[in-house]
Amino acid sequence: MPRLGLCAALLMAVLSIDGYCQEAPARKPDGNEGGRPSDAQIAKWRARRPADEVAAKPTPGAATADAPNADSIRGGGRPGGRVMTAKHGSNVLWLSDSPPSRGNGKSRWGGMGGMGGMAMGGGARRGPPVKRLWLRAGIDPQKSGFARDDAKAETEILLVTPQGKPEGEPLSAAEHHKLSFEMPVQGYYRLYLTKRKLKDDTLAVSVAKAEVAYFSHGGDEEERNEAATAPRALDSAPIEIVREKKPDEKMFFRLTSGDEQVFIVLRKGVPVANARVRFVSHAGWVKEAVSDDQGRVSFQIVRDYFPAWNEFEKRFKAAYLVIAETDAVESGRFNDQPYRSVRYQATLSGSYYPSPSDYRSYAWGLGIGFAFLIFCGTAIYLYRRRRVKPFAEVRFDEKQ
Amino acid sequence: MKSSETQASAMAPVDNRAQRAERSPPSRGGDRVTAGIRAAINHVDLNRFRFWFQLVAFVLFVYGGYLAIDLGSRLPFFSCGYNQEGRAGVCYLLPLQHQLSRPWPMLFTAASLSILSGLGIFFLWFIVLNKGWCGFVCPLGTLQDWLTALRRRLGIRYANYTRGQFAQLTKVKYILLALTILIPLGIGGGLWSHDMSPPFCLICPARMILPAFTGDFSQFTIDFSSKTSIVMTTLGMMVTALFIAGGFIKKRFFCFLCPMSALHYLFSKLALFRLKKDGDKCTRCGDCYRVCDLEIKEIADEVNKPNIMTDDCTLCLKCVAACPEDGALKATFAGIPIFESTEAGFIRRMR
Repeated sequence: MPRLGLCAALLMAVLSIDGYCQEAPARKPDGNEGGRPSDAQIAKWRARRPADEVAAKPTPGAATADAPNADSIRGGGRPGGRVMTAKHGSNVLWLSDSPPSRGNGKSRWGGMGGMGGMAMGGGARRGPPVKRLWLRAGIDPQKSGFARDDAKAETEILLVTPQGKPEGEPLSAAEHHKLSFEMPVQGYYRLYLTKRKLKDDTLAVSVAKAEVAYFSHGGDEEERNEAATAPRALDSAPIEIVREKKPDEKMFFRLTSGDEQVFIVLRKGVPVANARVRFVSHAGWVKEAVSDDQGRVSFQIVRDYFPAWNEFEKRFKAAYLVIAETDAVESGRFNDQPYRSVRYQATLSGSYYPSPSDYRSYAWGLGIGFAFLIFCGTAIYLYRRRRVKPFAEVRFDEKQ
Repeated sequence: MKSSETQASAMAPVDNRAQRAERSPPSRGGDRVTAGIRAAINHVDLNRFRFWFQLVAFVLFVYGGYLAIDLGSRLPFFSCGYNQEGRAGVCYLLPLQHQLSRPWPMLFTAASLSILSGLGIFFLWFIVLNKGWCGFVCPLGTLQDWLTALRRRLGIRYANYTRGQFAQLTKVKYILLALTILIPLGIGGGLWSHDMSPPFCLICPARMILPAFTGDFSQFTIDFSSKTSIVMTTLGMMVTALFIAGGFIKKRFFCFLCPMSALHYLFSKLALFRLKKDGDKCTRCGDCYRVCDLEIKEIADEVNKPNIMTDDCTLCLKCVAACPEDGALKATFAGIPIFESTEAGFIRRMR
């Protein structure tokens, strides 16, 4: 009987998660209409999508049947999205700064901890630091496996460095799923891995982008200032997502759960309106929205880290993934084969950390401070009062 | 009646000498200008000058960041690094502790040259004002002076240490300095949690108080993310409470325990700004001791050593201003006297 109750509660929880997802209004970046795609738009996208992906995508009803992982159960009932299976969106390519086996968010010392994008993760002891990235396939930031080499696809890798050409330089890599580059100067390093593949009469163009921030406390200030104003988008990129910096964002910036983050979808440097954008959190929660006229879309970073109190780590590095998709009616030839439409897909990943409000308490801080202040004040008062000698009048009789 | 006559006869020559000092004209024009400037400085109302100097320094180092002022991260006083928005520079203890908490293998590589270069920059800042950074610039020191002024207005009497308490408590700052260096080294070696880093900053009252002046109260919290964090942030709040309570009964309460003061003293003999005493001119009246916020008795008792500055001294120069003997106490910069005790200055300040 208790087991039946537990199953019922679990089922209700999963249903409520999915129900919320269907009804939760997407955030509107500027208060205009159009934050959330209409049913007609979704149906249109599904119709345009390749058949295998449509088959793999679970319907709302089917999503409830997928068993969520342990993290998702802990976060059950919280608003924000739905749990995705690994199958769904397995052809989504993205660049990660951790391989699947290490993507557990454990804090790692030795590198620089946390930027809104990616942080450099150590490197050679001598010489400039080296950043290593992995090309992964799937939309689960934790479990997505390495991307397989596709012989039919044409791959191009471009590295844009702070001191290099603005349009970037090709990066040769023996294995596309494992990439590394040196970071000799401070600034933002951007890696674009573009794959083009023809399927029927549709050309699929996917751009996996990684933005790595490398700054050091004792580094050249001029380099830092240049990096702060350097462009962070590539004019020649077929499509890309740019994480919008906050007005007060410093070099050593950390995105934390609960923060509002804006992303901009650009095609060859031009904002893309009505692109379908998905934000996938570390635990696999997905939120969908549509870009506005400026290509902007805003997401609130969902809190999805709920460990036991004694296992809590404030430096838990969680990964997020942003996927933007849009279709265009363009015709042309690819490898001597004609195509009539192009399906663009861009990905960008980054990291976020638990919010300080999750583990800091004003009530306790001020309580302890005031209590100790009153204790000290009382102790000083009593000490001084104890040392006061009572007035004792002594009279001398001069006659005696 | 007899006593008042005695007082009058004692004051008469003092007044005459003061008038002579003010009236006596220098022989040449250049000398006259120099003597005029020197007299103006020596007659200055030091308390008022210090108040305005400290106020300007406080505004500069607590709000200067809003004006894009950044004097680096090697400053020899508590310009708190936790004051993210308003700071115009960062106290050297913060980067020092971060640098020392690097993994041990890294400490013995070229990367650690930055520790030496940081110490060099700190030294260059330090030699300019010596411990005058504490007496004139440190925002936490200024706050303590303001607390003292408030105490005086409220009519709360201040406290003095006994000589025994003084002798024991003066060692605390060296113990804190040793811990400020050793604990980060232990963290780098994996002996202690990174949650303890930077150890002194976590218990320093400046971390809580200075950001609050820019509206950032986020440091008035207890961090429950780990047991170490709970202990350190609780200690921080308790030290802050102690700072406020202590500031109300004791002048410059925290300066007596400050590890930055101990670090200063390691280099103070090389500094350009110094406090000197001419023991032959000292009458041991004790005025200098009575005005000293740090209760340094040597300032009155010591008549043999010309370099009178001790480890507790903040170079506030109140002793120089309170000294009635010509040239008995003087502040020098690179050997040049810039402010010295004069009878005329003393009398003017007493009016």
